[in-house]
Amino acid sequence: MSVALLSVHGLVKGYGDGAALLAIPSLELAEGACWIVTGDNGAGKSTLLRVLAGLEPARADAASFAGRPLDLANYPDDVRREIVYVHQHPYLFQRSIAANIGYGLARRGVARAEQARRIAAAIAWAGLDRVRDAPPGRLSGGEKQRVALARAWAVAPRLLLLDEPTANLDATARAQVLALLRELAEAGRTVVVACHDRELIELPHAEQWHLAEGHLGRQR
Amino acid sequence: MMLDATREAFRLLFTGDPELWGIVAVSLRVSLTALAIAAPLAVAAGYGMAVGRFAGRRALIVALQALLSFPTVVVGLVLYLVLSRRGPLGVWQLLFTPEAMIIGQVVIALPVLAAFTLAAVQGADPRIRDTALSLGAPRLRAAFTLLYETRFAIIGAVCQGFGRVISEVGCALMVGGNIAGSTRTITTAIALETSKGDFAQGIALGFVLLVLAFGVNIALALMQGRGGEP
Repeated sequence: MSVALLSVHGLVKGYGDGAALLAIPSLELAEGACWIVTGDNGAGKSTLLRVLAGLEPARADAASFAGRPLDLANYPDDVRREIVYVHQHPYLFQRSIAANIGYGLARRGVARAEQARRIAAAIAWAGLDRVRDAPPGRLSGGEKQRVALARAWAVAPRLLLLDEPTANLDATARAQVLALLRELAEAGRTVVVACHDRELIELPHAEQWHLAEGHLGRQR
Repeated sequence: MMLDATREAFRLLFTGDPELWGIVAVSLRVSLTALAIAAPLAVAAGYGMAVGRFAGRRALIVALQALLSFPTVVVGLVLYLVLSRRGPLGVWQLLFTPEAMIIGQVVIALPVLAAFTLAAVQGADPRIRDTALSLGAPRLRAAFTLLYETRFAIIGAVCQGFGRVISEVGCALMVGGNIAGSTRTITTAIALETSKGDFAQGIALGFVLLVLAFGVNIALALMQGRGGEP
């Protein structure tokens, strides 16, 4: 039986005026699971991912990460280091691609030689060799998304949250990003991918979830 | 008379007149020291006000914006009263010293720097902080990353602060006293020496002040041009 990596009960996330944007009675994400969360624009997919990443506070009756109790209103730094959230339009720091990928490694105190090794591996994994010396501002949307995936992959997070990773990409870039997502799922990484209903992302062993009117329900 | 004074001004400038360049040195020393003290405090305060969520935050921001139009001569007056012999800090005997001018300029620079930092951080791409946090940066490190990513706006804030303190006259005159060789700055010299009929020095110092003000802004524009888009 799989172990719950992230468990949240009685999750409520409200708008400023008190109305509930998310009201999820129970969410149990198993270690190694791959979830695809669909929903319309404004359904709260990004908010759900940001709450799970500790970037937005929320209320919950009980929550835990890898068996440790968790306060959704105040994520501890060490839990945040286990989770990486990748934005729909990733922000690349104004530094080289290698330095972007090394950012998370440096924050984890990884030694310089090991950083260099993992940066090179991440660049190779995401197929970024051709653009590795380009300034981040000159990269296409698909290339930026691949740098962001490489940046997340390099730190080997226990939970990877991807917000509409293929939205607004052309067919080629979308295929490249999907190939990387498939690799992550096949490697047994715990991944939650939010995508629009029309996106139709298919990943190995993926569970399909749908978010509507603040409620998260499993499909099929 | 105007032509003679201008000619004399350029002679003072280009022959390295020790009195004139001594005044410039006092101005630069006072203003740069004040900026070095004010900048870290103001940048931290501006960042805290931009990202923090605490009671009284809005009132603090309104107060900060009001302080931007606080007359420097009133800063000088308050500081004069505090530092004068019978004032609460009179025992320090700082009145009419460069240190008094530095304190005054720190007070003047703080709101300018904090307000511009606040605007820079509020205007920064919200993904910067989220990305840093999500990649495992602790909050303080995420703050430094955001300030680094918005460094041109922050340097712009420091330049605005420099422009404000190097060109202010009211406070420097009140707490400095325009003492030759000690507290005589570019602005106090222009104000007082010109009134005594020494136009050449006034014109020469006015020229230096303009070069400093323009030079800082041109350097900033060049830096921003090289920075490129994120």
